[in-house]
Amino acid sequence: MESFRSNIRVFLAFFAPSFGWLVLFFVAPLVIIFLYSFGENVSLTEVETTWTWRNYSRILEPEIATLFWRSLALSGMSTIVCLVIGYPIALVIATARGAWKPWLLLAIILPFWTNLLIRTYALLNILGNRGRVNSGLEWLWERGYAALDAIGLNATAIMGEDFEPIIFLGRWSGVIIGLVYVHLPFTVLPIYAALERLDRSYLEASLDLGASQWRTFRSVLIPMTMAGLVTAAIITFIPMLGSYLTPALLGRGQVDMIANVIERQFKGANDWPFGAAMSLFLLYVTFIILAIQAFASMRRRGADG
Amino acid sequence: MAEPIISIRNVSKYFGDFTALEDITIDIRPGEIFALLGPSGCGKSTLLRCIAGFETPSTGDILIDGKDMTEVPPNKRPVNMVFQSYAVFPHMSVEQNVAYGLKMDGMSKSEIAPKVAEALEQVKLGQFAKRMPDQLSGGQRQRVALARALVKRPRVLLLDEPLSALDAKLRDAMRLELVKLQQEVGVSFVMVTHDQSEALAMADRIAVMKDGRLRQLADPVTLYERPADAFVADFIGRVNLFDVTGRAPFTAKSLGALELPPGAEVPPVGDLVLAIRPEYIHLHPDTSGPIPAKLGDVGFQGDISVVEVTLSDGRAILVQVEHDETPALLALPLGAPVSISLDLTRASVLPVSDA
Repeated sequence: MESFRSNIRVFLAFFAPSFGWLVLFFVAPLVIIFLYSFGENVSLTEVETTWTWRNYSRILEPEIATLFWRSLALSGMSTIVCLVIGYPIALVIATARGAWKPWLLLAIILPFWTNLLIRTYALLNILGNRGRVNSGLEWLWERGYAALDAIGLNATAIMGEDFEPIIFLGRWSGVIIGLVYVHLPFTVLPIYAALERLDRSYLEASLDLGASQWRTFRSVLIPMTMAGLVTAAIITFIPMLGSYLTPALLGRGQVDMIANVIERQFKGANDWPFGAAMSLFLLYVTFIILAIQAFASMRRRGADG
Repeated sequence: MAEPIISIRNVSKYFGDFTALEDITIDIRPGEIFALLGPSGCGKSTLLRCIAGFETPSTGDILIDGKDMTEVPPNKRPVNMVFQSYAVFPHMSVEQNVAYGLKMDGMSKSEIAPKVAEALEQVKLGQFAKRMPDQLSGGQRQRVALARALVKRPRVLLLDEPLSALDAKLRDAMRLELVKLQQEVGVSFVMVTHDQSEALAMADRIAVMKDGRLRQLADPVTLYERPADAFVADFIGRVNLFDVTGRAPFTAKSLGALELPPGAEVPPVGDLVLAIRPEYIHLHPDTSGPIPAKLGDVGFQGDISVVEVTLSDGRAILVQVEHDETPALLALPLGAPVSISLDLTRASVLPVSDA
């Protein structure tokens, strides 16, 4: 197996296909986008690279800056929700009996086997104004109304004339629910891996020393799985930031994220240079986040050793 | 005899169909080192975890200071444990590890600091207070675990295989040090071990367990001199076991008729074995002894040698030989005719253990 190090032809045989693939389908498009981002529309179909910074400076205009902040805020809030929901799920799986574990993990991974578009339409069906959630609530509302009426109270005064559906679609709540739903497996799996690696005796030692269950969770379990939590947060947050389908369908054009606006530049607005600049800006934001994380973990390791 | 600190009363523990502990009754006395000894899977760790509160007995009670512990969670029990893996929190400094338990008791910082310093001094880790655990050796981490548990002033300190993770040389030094530490703090130690020499060297009393049952509870000398059954005899030290038949006199296949000294205790029924330790067999370098044998390997150990000899029926047994007699044996070729004689006053007739 070591021969590829010494024999250049063996090395090339292994290396060339993947290298060629990456150059052709990753590096080349990226370079084209990079050139576009410094270009201007010269006609309806032609873009000329003029090395203008105008496309990038437009990102700082309030309308677009707001869009970036909104994307960051939506992704950030959804990531926090994912961590809060995902940690207990991971804990349950990690502490489940051996025979149960593969099935529970399967249940986490199962949604990946269904097309995202279909799952998102299913969410529309659930979250719509006449969707499953609201019809369930309406059913409860009607029962409550009838019950109040029956005991002689003025139901209309207490509960209003009509059932008011909770509006999810076209609002932040709908988009956050969608983002959390789609990305939760990315949160659960790294946390599960961290919990699985953790020696149970640390938790027992904490209890043995007089700590309550809650205190053990806070002072031992969370700090000792922090690396897994950070990984989970990052690999949940980054794909969320570039989400397209979820805000497009659940946001109804009223809760756009970056990807939706980028798509519009390439299609409706026919402003490829600006779309390219926004795409690359999103990439830079991602790099910065990863760099901060790498720097933080380096410093953490530096402090330990 | 003082009141026991821990009373284990008729404790059984089942995991599904598996019986981990069966009807164990043990009293732990104040100020003693008590060893739970047995091969792996004998239930000794389960029993320790029942005392700590990590497992609940299926039946029976555990009392600490006379109080029933059945409903008491581990964080409310007046015992502390040193884990086999030490479980020193890697994200806290040595000092913070030792302070952790005191903080949980709601002590103020000014109360905690001197106690932590004293505990670290006791285990000779004073200058390591600010270190992180990954900057310590295995032995030092164990001391942190000890200090962390002892600083809580537990009624009993539980130790799960305390020496198994250390290398051989450190292990011997740590045996003595643990005993000294115990004498210093005066707290009862209950330790789990699979190493009989460790138990014999350290413990005041030893409970030998097998398959979830208590086989014998005694001090080390009694355990060695008067084992209760063939399993205990075999597990503690070296021993030769011979199946015997008949009664007064017994006969063993390779030894012939055996005249036991008058007054020897003999179990009334069941399959029996004769147990005799290598040091109570005398090896003659010629054929002058009563039982003929062939010389096998001479295991020279310095002060003594452990020699394997083969009896007439091909059965190999161990004989212990003093240093002075060893050269004569080493001069003989392998398979040379020799002979042995047994000191039957030091032999015992025991029930076969798996009865």
